[in-house]
Amino acid sequence: MANRVAIVAVSQNAGAESKDNFYDQAYRVVKDALDKAGMSREEIHTVVSASSDIFHGGISCANAYYWESSAAFLKPGSRQDGESLFALAYAAMRIMTGKHDTALVVGLCKGSENPENDTCTHMFTDPFYQREVGLNETVAAALQMRLYMERFGVTHEQCARVAVKNLGNALRNPYAHKKGIYTIEEVLDSKRVIDPLTAMQIAPKSEGIIALVLASENKAKKLTDKPVWLKGYSSSLDTFNFGDRDLLNGQLKNAASRAYKMAGITNPRKEVDLAEITEPYAFQELLWCEDLGFCERGDGGKFIDSGATQREGALPVNASGGVLANNPYVSRGLQRAVEAFLQIRGEAGEHQVGKKVRTALAHGTHGFAGQCHAVAILGI
Amino acid sequence: MGRPVAIIGVGQTKHGRRMDVSYPDLVREAVLRVFEDTGLTPDDIDGVVSGTMPSMMEGVALTHFYFADAMQAVGKPILKTETCGSTGVSIAHTAFYWVASGMADIVLAVGHEKMNEGDSQATMTTVCEPFYQRHFVAGAPGAFSMQSRVWMDNFGIPEDKVRDAAAYISKTHHDSAFDNPYAHVKLRVTIDDVKNSKIITYPIRLLDVCPNSDGACAVIFASEEAVRKLGRKKVAWVKGIGFRGEEYYFGDSDKAVWQSAIQAAKEAYDQAGINDPRKDLDVAEVYNPFTFQEMMFYECFGFCGFGEAPDLVLKGIFARDGQLPCDPSGGTLCSNPIGATGLIRVAEAALQVMDKAGDHQIPGARTALGHAMGGADQFNGIMIVGSEM
Repeated sequence: MANRVAIVAVSQNAGAESKDNFYDQAYRVVKDALDKAGMSREEIHTVVSASSDIFHGGISCANAYYWESSAAFLKPGSRQDGESLFALAYAAMRIMTGKHDTALVVGLCKGSENPENDTCTHMFTDPFYQREVGLNETVAAALQMRLYMERFGVTHEQCARVAVKNLGNALRNPYAHKKGIYTIEEVLDSKRVIDPLTAMQIAPKSEGIIALVLASENKAKKLTDKPVWLKGYSSSLDTFNFGDRDLLNGQLKNAASRAYKMAGITNPRKEVDLAEITEPYAFQELLWCEDLGFCERGDGGKFIDSGATQREGALPVNASGGVLANNPYVSRGLQRAVEAFLQIRGEAGEHQVGKKVRTALAHGTHGFAGQCHAVAILGI
Repeated sequence: MGRPVAIIGVGQTKHGRRMDVSYPDLVREAVLRVFEDTGLTPDDIDGVVSGTMPSMMEGVALTHFYFADAMQAVGKPILKTETCGSTGVSIAHTAFYWVASGMADIVLAVGHEKMNEGDSQATMTTVCEPFYQRHFVAGAPGAFSMQSRVWMDNFGIPEDKVRDAAAYISKTHHDSAFDNPYAHVKLRVTIDDVKNSKIITYPIRLLDVCPNSDGACAVIFASEEAVRKLGRKKVAWVKGIGFRGEEYYFGDSDKAVWQSAIQAAKEAYDQAGINDPRKDLDVAEVYNPFTFQEMMFYECFGFCGFGEAPDLVLKGIFARDGQLPCDPSGGTLCSNPIGATGLIRVAEAALQVMDKAGDHQIPGARTALGHAMGGADQFNGIMIVGSEM
């Protein structure tokens, strides 16, 4: 990358429902990130936020509402919709041009003021065909899960193991919304929501205000001894009509291969030390691990059985508890980047993994069965 | 500033009440036109920037999903930029940064709106939070009529003069729209027609207000290297960009000396090396959903002093044959598919400096400004393009 971009400080709020109003939450998280970077608002050159009007408490043009409380008052700025990792990439581009030295990235989604996630995701459908049949993200995921199990022989137990692992990891993450020690049986016996998905295999609806301070190489070296570099990034979008898609052969491979190329990664299994993956449905962690090249096609079930993705495994996945533990729909991708940053810096507290993390992957996805994916590679 | 970036082609739909096409087909129409205009194919595109208005206006949320195929974006990296009414210019900014950063060589920017299938003014009211402001804001005209009163009072401009100047703007833009094949409203109006048209929110009358349009716009941005490789001569180089947002609560800021507009323009001028915009710019495509507001933009952008715009309008300074022609396309006043509108302003500016604006070409235009405004009078974005790198 010509002009390198670093993340120098991050902040996030807790995922559980909060009585604090949106403004207070946004202000506190942004202020905390700036304090950690040792910067004043005046030193931030540009602000790129991520939010979605459909996930914004009944207020349209979400960026209008929080513009000032997210430090963007009379600053050059913009907003990304849908996937918060887009905002990370766009802010980095702004710095790479040399026009800006520093940037603030903010993801904002206050789940407690929204209807159920699927009331919102239902609105991703076109109004003529797919909306009538009641398609939403969970229905789409259930269809994808059924196909995944049938084609590759992945078992219910293997899918449930993701929830056991992630909710267990979340016990060590003070920001996690859902957490606990559960057995595979308990996960499988939880309420059947849409067959074959049970309640504990589905991510909750959480609060998520996330802030990251980005800086150019020169500026980053002045701000911190431990800059974390954005080494690679890409995204990819799939076709719209659900029935036209091959749900087991989606766009994540595309996004990942471009991000790996940019980061100079040829063997992700060896070169990626840790991954934070957006898995709003437990089985998706297995499928996305395959797409990311961490294991062979169809081996996602065996991969988790091997223990590799455990917190002390060879390639820890979602040591934070992932999205099953914390799901602020829009900002969940950016939260993965925050967790990757903390692990690389050795600042993840009780959920810090045992191995040294030099390169970490943050993945975001939104839409039905992963219609859109984004992948960011962070490293020292 | 990064690598030099140019606009190499634009595609617009025929804007209007387009009940003949579905929303995806409307988007497809603009996208196919930009490929036709540039001779490129979807394989040449490294990334796609999409954007529109809030989901309540669309009836579909996260519209990049719905339009993935229409935008020829399947398998492509994507960014989804939305900043309310200023979305179109923000989309252009995103495409610019993407190429200027070196992350992509050729980027397709797409903005779109199908307003006749939604309720734009109801949506606009929900931009305001539900407790205080929402009760007071009667859609966009409510906010803009208050703003026009503040401006007149602030600078002591006689209402009659403002009324005459606004009517002049309305008449001349409606005339210009006849020279723009893509414009929505094609209506011959007289000054008296405007002054006697139905009151919407005093002092704003029907012919002071933009229509609800269906429309889409697609623009391709390319790096210097790509421009050279493709052997393009007539391109529009991006010379400067600016964006600012201000207070959310409408009453908290001065909407006459309007900081987001002033500072966005200043940022773009500084980058483009423009000192005297009235002289240095050859054309301006100012976002003008309301005639009164267009004059406020002239002042905030430094085309003239504060309080002076109505006099200069009546002297023809901003007319098609004036010193700084504004909105020779007919502007937002004659076509307003909101999510596309800002990008149309940039596209029209680019057409002017590429000498491809057809019947509404300003002869010899070399530097042009495109602008959009959004939120409850909260955001302003600008892009300046020029014929020379």
